[in-house]
Amino acid sequence: MESIGNLLLGFSVALTPGNLFWCFVGVFLGTVVGILPGLGPAATIAMLLPLTFKMDHTAAIIMLAGIYYGSKYGGSTTSILLNVPGESASVVTCLDGYQMARQGRAGPALGIAAIASFVAGTVGVIGLMLIAPPVARFALRFGPPEYFALMALGLTMVVFLAGKSMIKGLLAMLVGLWLAGVGTDLFTAESRFTFGQMELLDGIDFVVVSIGIFAVAEVLVNMESRGGTELFKVPRGIRNLMPTLKDLKDCRFAFLNGSVIGFLIGVLPGAGSTIASFLSYGAEKAFSRYPEKFGTGVIEGVAAPEGANNSETGGALVPLLTLGIPGSNATAILLAALILWGIKPGPLLIQDNPGLFWGLVTSMYVGNVMLLVLNLPLVPLFAQILRVPYFVLYPGILGISIVGVYSVSNSLFDVWMLGLFGLLGYAMRKLDFPAAPLVLGMVLGDGLERALRQSLMMSEGRLSVLITRPLSAAMICVALAILIMPLVNKVRSFRVKAVEQDV
Amino acid sequence: MKRSWCCLLLITSGFVLSGAGGIAHAAAFEPTKPIEAVVHTGPGGGSDIFARAIAELMQKEKIIAQRLQVVNKSGGGSAVAMSYLAEKKGDTHTIGFFTGVWITNPLTTMEAKTTIADLTPIVRLVLEPAVFAVKADSPYKTMKDFIEAAKKNPNQLKQSGGSVTGRDNLVRLVVQKATGAKWVFVSFPSGGERIANLLGGHVEAMVIEPQEAGEHIRAGNMRVIAALTDKRLPSFPNVPTLKEQGVNVPVIPQARGILAPPGVPKEVVQYWEGIFDRFAKSANWKQYVEHNQFEDGYLKGPGLNKFFDDLTVQMREVLKEAGAKVVR
Amino acid sequence: MSEKKELLSGICLGSFGVYVAFEALRLPYVSEFGPGPGFFPLWIGIGLTLLSLLLIVANLFASTAPESSKSQSRTAIGRALVGWSGLMLAIGLLHWLGFGLSLALLAAFLVLALERRSPWVAISVAFGLALGFHAIFVLALGLSLPAGPWGF
Repeated sequence: MESIGNLLLGFSVALTPGNLFWCFVGVFLGTVVGILPGLGPAATIAMLLPLTFKMDHTAAIIMLAGIYYGSKYGGSTTSILLNVPGESASVVTCLDGYQMARQGRAGPALGIAAIASFVAGTVGVIGLMLIAPPVARFALRFGPPEYFALMALGLTMVVFLAGKSMIKGLLAMLVGLWLAGVGTDLFTAESRFTFGQMELLDGIDFVVVSIGIFAVAEVLVNMESRGGTELFKVPRGIRNLMPTLKDLKDCRFAFLNGSVIGFLIGVLPGAGSTIASFLSYGAEKAFSRYPEKFGTGVIEGVAAPEGANNSETGGALVPLLTLGIPGSNATAILLAALILWGIKPGPLLIQDNPGLFWGLVTSMYVGNVMLLVLNLPLVPLFAQILRVPYFVLYPGILGISIVGVYSVSNSLFDVWMLGLFGLLGYAMRKLDFPAAPLVLGMVLGDGLERALRQSLMMSEGRLSVLITRPLSAAMICVALAILIMPLVNKVRSFRVKAVEQDV
Repeated sequence: MKRSWCCLLLITSGFVLSGAGGIAHAAAFEPTKPIEAVVHTGPGGGSDIFARAIAELMQKEKIIAQRLQVVNKSGGGSAVAMSYLAEKKGDTHTIGFFTGVWITNPLTTMEAKTTIADLTPIVRLVLEPAVFAVKADSPYKTMKDFIEAAKKNPNQLKQSGGSVTGRDNLVRLVVQKATGAKWVFVSFPSGGERIANLLGGHVEAMVIEPQEAGEHIRAGNMRVIAALTDKRLPSFPNVPTLKEQGVNVPVIPQARGILAPPGVPKEVVQYWEGIFDRFAKSANWKQYVEHNQFEDGYLKGPGLNKFFDDLTVQMREVLKEAGAKVVR
Repeated sequence: MSEKKELLSGICLGSFGVYVAFEALRLPYVSEFGPGPGFFPLWIGIGLTLLSLLLIVANLFASTAPESSKSQSRTAIGRALVGWSGLMLAIGLLHWLGFGLSLALLAAFLVLALERRSPWVAISVAFGLALGFHAIFVLALGLSLPAGPWGF
């Protein structure tokens, strides 16, 4: 079969000592970048670009890609241990991951994050290898109406994230949607809610909001009382520091779910790994036998989103390598790198540079293995961070938050906003408002509004365009079904109660 | 008396020497630490890549002893970068990489308080041409076909592009005005999405740079139906310009070049002009320009000032007619 | 106690919703093709206001919970706010003193004022954190952090 020949070619390229070395450099850097909140793979790849001019192109793209998918491994570390989202997509991991850490299960959480990342990442690469061209062509059929339907489907995840009070969940989501709208309107170049501040013209950075509402707020809540020296108990013994076989069994569906959803979302340009993790988390909760436990420290709640944001990298490379279309910031820089080196990315890239393409794909298998080997032994090491006395940890977390935010845009204005969102997050905790819907609204708000307006622009104002196209109609039906579900459940339980009372 | 003559001689020679030293000092400005090269995009954006490429080429040609350090000041289009430069008044070790948006942004955005007139122009390096492209299997083989179709079905055809104040929309506006055709403009924030929507058949046309379009044309997915320049492009010798196809509209240029902060002494400006003079003549640079399908747009001095003034006036007019809110 | 919380949040969010809706009305509701920039914010504002009213109404008829822990939660919130003020002060100092010093001061403040540990602990934590951050982020990773008059 052709694929075997290509794989052999690929491995012969990827397993050379030089490329192995650069692959390791890339994934190592990626892990470090992922662990650090704020600093993302896009900026790191851009900073390293000048160094790649003198390198062999295949080695260079292997390294840069390693940074890209490597960063998704590290992002869960601070999310689980400190409730500080290391990467935008790791916000969802904070929900159950941090709760697991509080229950003394930080080790299994970190471990399952690494394993899920490995499984889903590898599935993503398999997808890239086997079905890239047809999937890319399918993705082209996604126009604005389909994107709107997808974002709307994403918003229905609020049903799974709201917790006890649906009203509060919706309110938080609306605030998130408003935050997404701050800035310059793309279509009319009008400024919205910028309060005359030039720094707000581009909107509020998601990193600032997520680190503020999760990390800073958590520190503020913990400051309320003087406690003992340890943050929370750290389990001893290797057995307690790794996921058990039962854990792995529980996560079977999560692995599958994360891999598939992540890859498919990744293929769509502009969709992003954060949406992938939210959808995967929601799907996991929807099909779980104990949905009400999600948010309290359920291991599938870590495995699903972590897997999703890894296989998303495989998916995001599909439009880049098969069509020359970048799907996100990081892939846009990879595209720029390819152009700078004189390689022309486009539909003919695979044909013209089979060594580069297959070498890259196989290096990703190798890279994922390297990452698993790198990250798993580090789990017990990282778990020791929780031993640090919390009066050292709190200023440390605040310091990391400031560094993280500042490293994104070098703007003190953003750091001020971090403080403000920290206070907002604290207020939300005291008033029992869930943070996840706010984050969800903020992530999806932009895309949702844009897609709706684009669709209406294209259909001359006819809303029916959303239902006449089969793909978007299908997704909207699923979204409606998810919304109606809680009502149906309430009616059902009401009827059960009524029957019981009769008897 | 002799003593006072001596004193006078000493004092006068002191003045002359220090004056000469001063002149010599002023004529030989040499940067003593790395140069900050300010761009208005984040890492990976158009200006960022351009600046990094130039920094790299400068190192190769050894034209300048210090290195260019790219500093990303993104935000509000060009607002943050421009105001950063304005704050660095008189700083001799900072330069900025401008594009067309540095001229149009202050015209439409209240919060963008620094205008191009506040900064010190050094040199214009290239002009980025653009072409009008459609999907390869679309029925429009020439610009005329497209315009006819648009006239027959007003607001049915769609063009994907970036911001409404960007070049792609401005081109659409001037062509619409000249021909009476009307078609819809749909904004997408990233180039990838614009191309994806064209290839997916969700829009009919887009304005794209030839280097971006090259690969898609080679793969047989895109067709270029007009060159939006004064003369035909060397990479597309068979594609007529708008003028050749009977559409008489001004060319909306997309220029890239170098600026300095306000209040920079004349010697420094001359130094930079000299540097970029030599740079523009270097073989590596010429190769880069050709490889990226830019037009050599080298321009400096009063010609450059006139270019900025003319462009500001032209942009203001076009934007006003477009119905965009012009605040300056 | 608990329904006071809901009332407070309801009122805050309700007024915020009204503000958003008003601002949105100043923006064009429709543009050349389809909804304008004012469309979404207006509906967000309306949604916020309506849901807040719902929240308030749903809790007007709720039972009163015992108020035993009122004083304790006041001091708790007080401590958190003191910590937050320390953070904001440190952020304000970033421009003048640079990251290293501001973080050290914040750490010292938190350890001394909130945790009431000895000054020696405070100083060592402050010093250690500032050094550690400088070593990892500035030296090893080359990130640029706000630098004060002494360059760190």
